[in-house]
Amino acid sequence: MAGDPTNGCADLDAKYLPPEPTLPQTPTDPTCVLQATHQTTDSNWLPDETNLDTSAINMALGRCPVVKLVANGTNNAFVSGPISMAGVTLWIDAGVTLYASRDPNQYSNEPAGTPSDCGQPGVNDSAACKNFISVNGGASPAIVGDGIIDGQGGEPLIGHDYSWWQLSSALAMIDGSIGNPTLINLSSGVTGFLMYRITLHNSPKFHVKITSTPAGGVTAACTPGAGFIVWGVTILTPSRWLNSQGLLMSPHLSRNTDGIDPGETSFAACGVLAHNTISTGDDHIAIKGGHGVSNIYVAHNHFGTGHGMSIGSETYGGVNGLTVCDLTIDADSRPVGQGASPGDFNGIRVKSDSSRGGLVDNVVFRNVCMRDVNNAILISTAYNPLFSGTLIPNFKSLSFKDIHGVTCMAKQVGVVTLNGFSVLYPAGPITLDNVIVDNLGPLGVEAQFSSVVTGPGPVGFSGYIAGQDVTVTQLPVDNSVAPINCVFPTLPAPQPPAGWLR
Amino acid sequence: MTASKALMTASTNARRTALLVPCLLLAACTTTTEKQDGICTADPTITTDCNGTADGGAPQNLGLTGYSCTGTARPDQGAVYIEGVPQGIICANQIPPTDGGAPASPQNYCCTNATTPCAYDPVAACDPGTYAYQCLDINRPESYNPTIRCGQGVRATNYVDYCCSGTGLPAGCGEQDGLAGCVPGLVGWQCPITGTQHTLPKGQDLMSNKSRADQYYLLCSIPQVAPSGKVDTFCCYPPASVPPGGSCIEDVYVSNCNPLTQFGFACTGPETPEADYPPIVCPNPGTRGTSMEGYPATLYCCNFVNDSH
Repeated sequence: MAGDPTNGCADLDAKYLPPEPTLPQTPTDPTCVLQATHQTTDSNWLPDETNLDTSAINMALGRCPVVKLVANGTNNAFVSGPISMAGVTLWIDAGVTLYASRDPNQYSNEPAGTPSDCGQPGVNDSAACKNFISVNGGASPAIVGDGIIDGQGGEPLIGHDYSWWQLSSALAMIDGSIGNPTLINLSSGVTGFLMYRITLHNSPKFHVKITSTPAGGVTAACTPGAGFIVWGVTILTPSRWLNSQGLLMSPHLSRNTDGIDPGETSFAACGVLAHNTISTGDDHIAIKGGHGVSNIYVAHNHFGTGHGMSIGSETYGGVNGLTVCDLTIDADSRPVGQGASPGDFNGIRVKSDSSRGGLVDNVVFRNVCMRDVNNAILISTAYNPLFSGTLIPNFKSLSFKDIHGVTCMAKQVGVVTLNGFSVLYPAGPITLDNVIVDNLGPLGVEAQFSSVVTGPGPVGFSGYIAGQDVTVTQLPVDNSVAPINCVFPTLPAPQPPAGWLR
Repeated sequence: MTASKALMTASTNARRTALLVPCLLLAACTTTTEKQDGICTADPTITTDCNGTADGGAPQNLGLTGYSCTGTARPDQGAVYIEGVPQGIICANQIPPTDGGAPASPQNYCCTNATTPCAYDPVAACDPGTYAYQCLDINRPESYNPTIRCGQGVRATNYVDYCCSGTGLPAGCGEQDGLAGCVPGLVGWQCPITGTQHTLPKGQDLMSNKSRADQYYLLCSIPQVAPSGKVDTFCCYPPASVPPGGSCIEDVYVSNCNPLTQFGFACTGPETPEADYPPIVCPNPGTRGTSMEGYPATLYCCNFVNDSH
C-alpha cells in the first residue's frame, strides 16, 4: 500500500481509531516527581537491590494524580517490589528504567512470616506470587512515558541461582503453570485504562493483562478506545542476548510471557491497541474470552517472534467484534537461540477446546503480512484435545482479507488450519478474500467441520480446502487483485555480544 | 468394502489381531482371542433417532447409523491400525448401563458412517459404564460423533485415550477448598463412590475458570469414606511427570494407610515412590502385595512433605 499511511485501513481507522493520546503535564508538586536512586549501564545492568523504591513509589501513587519517575544525574533506575495504583498515572521518563525486584519474598501472597510458593521450583501454583504492578480499579489509570519497565525474568533470583523463566521452563514438560509475577495486571473495576509509549522488557510471566471497560458501562455501540487504549508500546522479551550469568536468552526460554492479553482477568471492551511493537516468548496479543471481550480494534502493529495474534484459548465468555488491520508478523526479526520450537513462530490463531469454548463472532483480519511463520492461519477447536467438557467452541463469522504469508527462500512455509468442532458446531462462515500463503501445498491445508467462502480476491490454496463436512463456496475470482505487498520494518532486537555471529 | 458395510453385520469374533498394536502398549492386555457372543444389525429406526434432535425438531444429518446389538457385540469392534493410524467408527450407546455398571443387552448404538482416526479399545481401563477409544493426535471422538461424551484424554505418544459414553459420563468429583485434614500444599476433593469402586478426581472435574494446565493430572491421598458410604474425600496435588521407566502407580486401595494424610502406591519395579513422585516421602519399607490392577507389587503408604518452603 505504497503511499497510504494507513496501509489500507483508512475506512476502519476512520471508524475505530481515536486520536493519539498525549502525555500528561509534569506534576507541579515536586513530591510527585521521584528522582532515580539507582544506576545501571549497558555493561552492568543488574541494579543493586539493597534499598528498594517500593515504599516511595507506592506512597506517591497513593496521593498524586500523576507520578513521574525521572533520572537524577547518573542515576537512571528504580528498583521496586509490588506496586499498586488506582485511578492515577505512572509516568516513566525517557532514559529511566523501573526494575521489578528479583527477590521472590517481595511477591509472597502469604501473610508475613508464612512460607510462600512464590519463587519455589517445581510448585505448580499459578497464584503463588503477587503482580509487579497492580491496577486496582479507578477511572482512567495510565502507565505512560518513554522509559522502560523491566521484569528481569531471565536474571537469577535473589538468594537463588535460577531465574523466573527457569522456574517456568522446569514445568513445561507437564504443561504446568508457575506462579511468577505478572508485570502489569488490571483487576475488575478499571475503566478507561491507557498505556502509552512505554517499553516493557523481560516480564517473569504475562506482560499485561487488561480488564477495562468504558466508564459508562459496556454498550453495543461504544466509543472506540473508551474501554482502554494501548498505543505506541514496545515489548521486547528477552531484551538481552545473554543474562548476567552468561546464559543465552531466547524467546523460547521466556515461557508464558504473553505480550498483551485483553480479557485475561475479567471483562474487556471497547479497546484499541495501535502502533505497538511486540516480540516475546508467547502470544503477542491474545484476546482472552473467559469473561467476555467485545469491540476491540487492533491496528498498525508490528510483531516479531511470538505465538501470534491470537484469540483464546478461553472463549467461553464470548468474543464478539475484533477487527485487526495493518499487522506484520516477522519470525525472522531476530535469532531465537537453542530450543526454539515451531510454536514460537505463529501467525493468526483462533484457538479453543471443549473445556473452555464459546461463541467467537464478528472477527475481521485485514491487511496482515507474515514472514516465515509456522501457522499462517490456525482455526482450531482442539487446542488441547485432552481436555474434556461441554463448553464447545462455536466459531462463527471469521473474515480474512488481504492476507499474505511470505517465506525466505521457501524454507519455512506456513500452514493453514480451518477446523470447526463437529457437524453440530461447524466453524464459519470463514471468508477468505485475497489470501495468499506463498509456496503452500496441499499437505499444508487442513479443514474439517467448516464453511468456507473464497473470493473475490484470489485464495492461493482454495483448491486444497477439503475435509470432513467442509463446504467451500467459491465466488467469481477477480484475478486483477494482486497479493498485498509486504514490507517488514526492522524491529527492536537484542544485540549480540562481541564475537557472536547473527 | 466400506467400514459401515463391513460392520453391518459386525462379526461376533472381532478382529482382535487388529488391536494388537494398542494391546502391546498395555501390560494388562492379552492376545488371546476372546470369544464374543451376539451380533449387530443396522436398524433404520435407530438411525432416524440417532440423527434426530433432542427437542423433536427436524432430523439433522449427523452422519450416523443406528445399530442394535445383542450379547457383547459392538459395531465398532472392527477397528484397524494402518501405518499407525487408527481406522474405526465411533459408537454411542443409547441405553444406560445397569445400576451395577454392567452394559445393557441388547444395546442400541449410534455410530459414525465414515471411518475416523479413532479405534475402539476394549482393554483400556475406564470407569464402569464407559468404554474407550484411542485417537490419533488432536482428534476427539465427540467431533465425529456428536452423540457421545468423552472424558479427559490421556496421551500415549501419538495417540490419546478417551473413556466415553453415549448416555452421559458418571458423576464427577468436586473440588473442596479448605477441606479439614489436608496439609498445606494439598487441595481437598470429594468424589462419588460407584458400587465399591473409588472414583479419583480428574482435571475434567475442574470448573472452566480453573486452569487445566495447572492440575489436569492429580495425585490423591487414600480416601476417607463419608459416613453415608456414598462419597470419598481426598487430599490431592498436581505432581510433576513421572520419570521414564517409573513403575510406581497411585493405588487408593493400599490397606493400613491413613486416610487423607497418606498416599498409597503400588510399585512393580525396584524404585520407591519417593523417586517417582517428589515430594512424597515413604517412612516405611514397602510390603509385598497386589496392585489394584491385580499385579504383584510392592505397596507403600507415603506422606506428602511440603519441603518447598
